[in-house]
Amino acid sequence: MASDDSLPTLKVLLIGPSGAGKSALLTRYCDDEFDPESSTATIGIDFKIKKLSVRGKAYRLTLFDTAGQERFRTLSTSFYRGAHGVLLVYDVSSRASFLTMERWFDEAEANTGEGVALYLVGAKLDKAETSREVSYEEGQALADAHGALFCEASAKTRENVRKPFCDIVNQIVSTPGLLSGGNQGRTVGTVQVGKDGWYLSGCSC
Amino acid sequence: MDSLGDTVWDVVICGTGLQQSLLALSLSRSGKKILHIDPNEYYGGPDAAFSLQETEAWVGRHAAPSSGLFKSASITKPEGSTGLSFSRAYSLALAPQLIHSRSKLLSQLVSSRAYKQVEFLAVGSFFTFKPAADPEQKPTLARVPSTREDIAFEASLSLKAKRGLMKFLKFVLDYEGEAQRGVWGPHTDSPFNDFLQKEFKMDSDLQKYIITLTLSLDGEMSTKDGLAIIYRHLTSMGFFGPGFAAVYPKWGGISEIAQVACRAGAVGGAVYMLGTGIQAEETSSNDIQLQLTSGDTVKTKLLVRDNDKEEGTFSVSRLVAIVASPLKALFESVVEGAPLPAVSVTAFPAGSLRTDADEPYDYPVSVAVHSSDTGECPSGQSLLYFSTLSTPRSKEALNKALDSFLQAVNDEQMPERLFELYYEQGRGSVASHVDGRVLTLPNVPPSLAFDDAALDPIKTAWEVAMGEDTANTEYMMFPDREAALDDEMYDD
Repeated sequence: MASDDSLPTLKVLLIGPSGAGKSALLTRYCDDEFDPESSTATIGIDFKIKKLSVRGKAYRLTLFDTAGQERFRTLSTSFYRGAHGVLLVYDVSSRASFLTMERWFDEAEANTGEGVALYLVGAKLDKAETSREVSYEEGQALADAHGALFCEASAKTRENVRKPFCDIVNQIVSTPGLLSGGNQGRTVGTVQVGKDGWYLSGCSC
Repeated sequence: MDSLGDTVWDVVICGTGLQQSLLALSLSRSGKKILHIDPNEYYGGPDAAFSLQETEAWVGRHAAPSSGLFKSASITKPEGSTGLSFSRAYSLALAPQLIHSRSKLLSQLVSSRAYKQVEFLAVGSFFTFKPAADPEQKPTLARVPSTREDIAFEASLSLKAKRGLMKFLKFVLDYEGEAQRGVWGPHTDSPFNDFLQKEFKMDSDLQKYIITLTLSLDGEMSTKDGLAIIYRHLTSMGFFGPGFAAVYPKWGGISEIAQVACRAGAVGGAVYMLGTGIQAEETSSNDIQLQLTSGDTVKTKLLVRDNDKEEGTFSVSRLVAIVASPLKALFESVVEGAPLPAVSVTAFPAGSLRTDADEPYDYPVSVAVHSSDTGECPSGQSLLYFSTLSTPRSKEALNKALDSFLQAVNDEQMPERLFELYYEQGRGSVASHVDGRVLTLPNVPPSLAFDDAALDPIKTAWEVAMGEDTANTEYMMFPDREAALDDEMYDD
């Protein structure tokens, strides 16, 4: 829809180790689907778009998955360009996945601009009762250390699935200058080379 | 998750320069199983862009006078200077290239839908450097008029010169026509300079204008090539908007396109490994077995790799300088409605610079100045990318060019020089070869403007890998891969 293109666009990334449940979270949030058999790396979709209203104002939320490039830690610097927020996802039933998060925070902080919203998500909360390996407090402490928000969620049971997405959007739109400012927005002199224009047009509003 | 060895890959691609990356994009989205590796820890190979820290590490590996494609690298930082920002505030492109608006590279990025992840900026005015008439004066820059309107309003040109240039532009726009061919045909392989002089009676100043627009490394080319390059420039002018003929990808040029192509390859299912090269290879009748430096052993039907060993027929000397000034005068929009340019190009014609021994330097030098809008340096600073053909005196000439350029662009005080990087880049291999199951891609030539000829070997490699499927698959034509979803309200 042409009218959607005029909405301010938010770019949010989902990163974290393979198998942490990034795609399950994204698919549950966007499509309300959950496939317990799916364990393969996500391919096929560049990004998902969701229109979201926060405090009466509509935004176009673009959600970027890792496309499998997290497996050997080969996300490119260009992947992070222009991101307004990053969801860092680990698996509460895997100590090993949690232990990689410090490096994911480092990578996200090194490649994004100042003030970018970071959000730590402990996924697979449904497994907590039987096989939790990371406590809520540990997750919260790591998030605090990086100035990030935190929650635990389950794509399987839907618990808290919307929370990280809504919270991070809320944080982005309430951070002064993040949407319009500095290196995050598109430059004034941007040239449109495609017929149907830039997907990120209108950032200056 | 499957281990790498369980799959028989259709193609293993080694190296993540522009060509390999576009190949990965085209093949993975045409349904082939691709493993894409690079011995470097970064994307882009010879087309990479670096932070300051990465630049320093790279220089450490390429400081020797003979170490493959890149050599003789060194960094100069003035003592006591505190003007540099943090390492990642910079993105220094190893081989920055502007892309003409009519380049097939852009149309392929659009048809493959990869363009949406790249931000393109306008490349604005072209200038020629004019040395000072006497030692009391400063050198100057003269803007190169490249449209009819430009020429009509250019005060420095005589009426006769304007008429000559107008006639020439009109001629080039239809240079493949029969009447025009009759004029330049006899000069096809003779020097372009001579042709301009003989057929259009251009004096040496006007010839310099035209040669500047060709962005040629040595200022010498055949009439046929010269006309083709000027044609490309003129037909690109205004194509995406008024006042500019070329674009530059923000954040590091070609490097950014390579990364975006790799991401698109990954979206298409390609698997990526950096810091991983090929240790050993063994060809059997059905496939080729590769032992990777990661310890994995993989099987593939085809191996595509770059050639970073051959230096090729010539080298380019480069000087990248960071200066503490926005150099605003270079980035003015001169046509109404034109986007603010982020890149400006100045050519130093052969003979316009003088060596330490006060002799004229016989080769042209060029500089592409990038404003902070490119994201390659912080605001208030500029990046100057000088290049010239490598000669025994090219380093000296580049330093002279930097000095003279800063004198010419500044009215008040000389801008502070914060950082200088020097290196030499070989032309690299020119041809692609297929040897059984191994295909070697050539390098992108180190010219100032991207040459579409570099795209041909990619398509050839794609055809080799696609085999019988070539006939029913369109090259680089893919639908969008994004999912639009329902609205959601969130109010609290």
